Amino acid sequence: MSDYPKFAVVGHPNKGKSSIVASLSLDKSIQIGNTPGTTQVKRGFPLKVDGKIVYELFDTPGFQRARRVFAWLQDHGDVSADKRVDVVREFVFKHKTNEQFKDEVELLEPILNGAGIIYVVDASKPYGAEYEIEMEILRWCGQPSMAILNLIGDEDYRDEWTRALGQYFRLVRTYNPMIARHIEHTQLLESMAQLKEDWTESIKKAISVLDELYDKKVEESLNIIVEYMVEVLSFVHKEKIKKEEASEKEKEDAKVTYRKKILSSEKKERRAIEKIWNHLDIEKKEISLELDRVGLFSKESASIFGLSQKELILTGASAGVVTGAGFDLITAGSTLLLGSLIGGVVGGVGAMFGFDNLYEVKVLGQKLGKRELSIGPMQNLNFPYVLLGRSLYHASMIAKRSHAERDNLELDNTSFTEKIMDAKNRKGLEKMHLKLRKAEEIEDEVLEEYRTLIKKSLLTLL
Amino acid sequence: MQKKSSNITLKSYLDLAQLLKKYKGKHEDNRLFALTQKSEELKLLSLWQEKNLYRINEELDSSKYLHYLTLLTSLFGIVLLVFGFFTGFALLSYSGTEPVNVIYLLLVMVGLPLFSMLLSLFSLFTGNRGANFFNHFSPLYYLEKIIDFLPFAKNINLSSLPFSATLSKWIFLQRLQLFSFLFALGLFSALVLTVISKDIAFAWSSTLEVNPISFQYMLGLLATPWQTFFPSAVPTLELVEISHYFRLGDKLDTTMVQNADKLGAWWKFLAMATLTYALVLRLLFWFMIRLGLNAQLKKELLALSGVKKLLKEFSTPFVSTQSVKQEKHLEVKEEASISASETLSDAYASLLAWNYAEKTLLLLQDHNKIKASNMAVVGGRNSFSQDQALVDGLKGKILLYVKAWEPPTMDFMDFLADILANKNVKVVEVCPLGTASGNYSSKKSDMEVWLKKLEQVDSEKLEVIDV
Ligand SMILES: Nc1nc2c(ncn2[C@@H]2O[C@H](COP(=O)(O)OP(=O)(O)OP(=O)(O)O)[C@@H](O)[C@H]2O)c(=O)[nH]1
Ligand SMILES: [Mg+2]
Repeated sequence: MSDYPKFAVVGHPNKGKSSIVASLSLDKSIQIGNTPGTTQVKRGFPLKVDGKIVYELFDTPGFQRARRVFAWLQDHGDVSADKRVDVVREFVFKHKTNEQFKDEVELLEPILNGAGIIYVVDASKPYGAEYEIEMEILRWCGQPSMAILNLIGDEDYRDEWTRALGQYFRLVRTYNPMIARHIEHTQLLESMAQLKEDWTESIKKAISVLDELYDKKVEESLNIIVEYMVEVLSFVHKEKIKKEEASEKEKEDAKVTYRKKILSSEKKERRAIEKIWNHLDIEKKEISLELDRVGLFSKESASIFGLSQKELILTGASAGVVTGAGFDLITAGSTLLLGSLIGGVVGGVGAMFGFDNLYEVKVLGQKLGKRELSIGPMQNLNFPYVLLGRSLYHASMIAKRSHAERDNLELDNTSFTEKIMDAKNRKGLEKMHLKLRKAEEIEDEVLEEYRTLIKKSLLTLL
Repeated sequence: MQKKSSNITLKSYLDLAQLLKKYKGKHEDNRLFALTQKSEELKLLSLWQEKNLYRINEELDSSKYLHYLTLLTSLFGIVLLVFGFFTGFALLSYSGTEPVNVIYLLLVMVGLPLFSMLLSLFSLFTGNRGANFFNHFSPLYYLEKIIDFLPFAKNINLSSLPFSATLSKWIFLQRLQLFSFLFALGLFSALVLTVISKDIAFAWSSTLEVNPISFQYMLGLLATPWQTFFPSAVPTLELVEISHYFRLGDKLDTTMVQNADKLGAWWKFLAMATLTYALVLRLLFWFMIRLGLNAQLKKELLALSGVKKLLKEFSTPFVSTQSVKQEKHLEVKEEASISASETLSDAYASLLAWNYAEKTLLLLQDHNKIKASNMAVVGGRNSFSQDQALVDGLKGKILLYVKAWEPPTMDFMDFLADILANKNVKVVEVCPLGTASGNYSSKKSDMEVWLKKLEQVDSEKLEVIDV
């Protein structure tokens, strides 16, 4: 019929079958819940490359009346081992429309159609002999099979489970769908490839396809982040004004519009990233970007992603941002001076280095008899780091998020700054930020270098 | 061999740029398109653009712009053709007394074209800076500025068209070749017409001291291209000598007068020079620039925003991992509408333990200090008929231990229903227990699962206990 490998994920109700399928198929549309019997019918999740199926996973309902089924099988099946699958077939055939066995029929069907068996148990709970009946039934199906130990709770009974499952399954692996990353995903596939020789090639192909898909997503995310950074950091908002000078109200309105545009760019970027990783419309809790406070330092919660004043000074100095007196002060290498500079009386210094600058409102000259007001690009030195930090953090959390996860995404973690940017990276980044701040043209090499740096940061977060 | 890139035209470039601003397609569709077309990159791009062009509802930039470009080009083309023609006439105006100076003619018919070609060449080998410079240098640039004010050009915003300075340079250079060609054509026809209709005496004179021998040598160099197959169009030394003309004195040189019939022979040379340098060479140039323009168009087409992504999507397999089938989601109740009571009685007629092992049951009984006249494990590895027999013998008050962390299966529900159906049974208390490591107390969330399931059982006899 069809020659691609199929796998039916089966087991007791509520042990994470759907979670595992969601995680492996990167599909968050699956209903997952702690109500047993959440999944009512089987559902196929094919991995397709250009429309061609490489392998297919089936999510199934859990066993509900295993003992009855097994009793039926035994009544009808005093046969040699090689004929047992026919007895199961007969059972399914005779009970297709029987409400009582609808779950069993649903879960056995894909197996009888040639699917390998992936038996899921929750190994954070003690083993129970009642599972043996399910395993017996599955054994009667005579298909290649493996067991997955899922750890839903905090305890670990994997030893006793492994001893018991080892008698029924050739392979027993641990896989936690909530925290599994791409690497665990491929490792599980490697195990599945061993189940049957005919399947090995297809599964190897699936692994390489998924590897490429993952890399592609990382690259696409990077493109989005870089585009977003360039867009926001070089963003200039212009508006016509009525008189010679801009009125206070006009200035205020322009600032509001400017801020709105930045915020909407951020929203757009978040959506784009979520789309890439199949997490569109995710519910998340994120501290909103407060533009009026990015000038403040890392003590402040609003700029947790930004740099401290000390880091800013060092970054600025090494990237040659700070010119004139400020530059001399620092390159003089007077650690004493630097120390005091950083240590305390920074009010005035902050202003000197432009830490507190946000955005200026400028009035532009005559253009066809009309005057314009312009805001941007954002001058604040910390702003790019706040933006980038937030964006990388979000992207990494989205990339790592399991498709089995149904809780809100918490993005209000506060201990984050160090990981993304060491001093060396910052220096490279600042080169670009400086150009954007000055609205200079960006050469391809500079952009490429910037992208590489951001990639490095992103990869360490994944 | 170069044909492949020639399918990019200004039109396709503009159309693609405009289309990509509006529509980029989905990876799946784009990849499918590429798979069904099986063409090379550029061909794919243009096919994709053709297929999706209908998505642009407004007027195409290309039709606006190309209309304008054609109009402008024809206008200038005609003007230059006519201008060339009259320039030719003016240069060849022969009053009958004074001969026409060949050096003038050569300057206009050969020198000017060569100079403009040199400029074109120069501008080719300079980068973008050169491009800007040449754009401003060109009178056309200013003319176009003026034309911007013309009504038909009103709705074209040249600066919004996606032409880089370099591309504009190429477009301009190509047109420059065309205009120069037309100008030369005008000159040439003027020459031919004049020669046919008039008898012109050519002569040469220069303020510089040029002797006939070196002058003839230079002319010979110019005539190299046609020397072999058209020798009569190369001025002989004799011709050069007899047509040397000195302005001093009012009268014509006597030798010139004597050889007046021979002086007309210059025209063949002039015609060949114009044909070769101003027309044929120009065509070659035009062709070369066309190739360059194509190459540049190709380069900029590939650099258009969105093209890279599109090409990537053409070449990258589309992978899908999700289910095609929609799931009908189960409605889930937030909370159970029944609750568990907290106290166990001291004594029961029977103590049953669902899915427990015999040993564990003893432990449990000891732990909860339960008195029961009768104890049994049910479910688990028991066969169906074993349990059935056990249920039939039950009576009085029953305590049923279950594992709280294992959700109630239908197997359990069937069993429970059987017990409740037994008339001798007065009360069934279902007590979900936690794991031994948690001191048998059940988790709230597990309890909730049990309550939600057990509330579906419609029986007065059933109670749920949470210890
Ligand atoms: N913490 C944690 N919870 C998990 C894990 N796997 C599953 N769960 C939870 O366990 C519950 C059951 O998960 P499902 O995936 O719906 O289980 P199922 O086996 O498909 O259940 P049915 O469809 O009802 O048979 C859900 O509340 C999940 O959130 C895990 O690895 N860690
Ligand atoms: Mg499920």
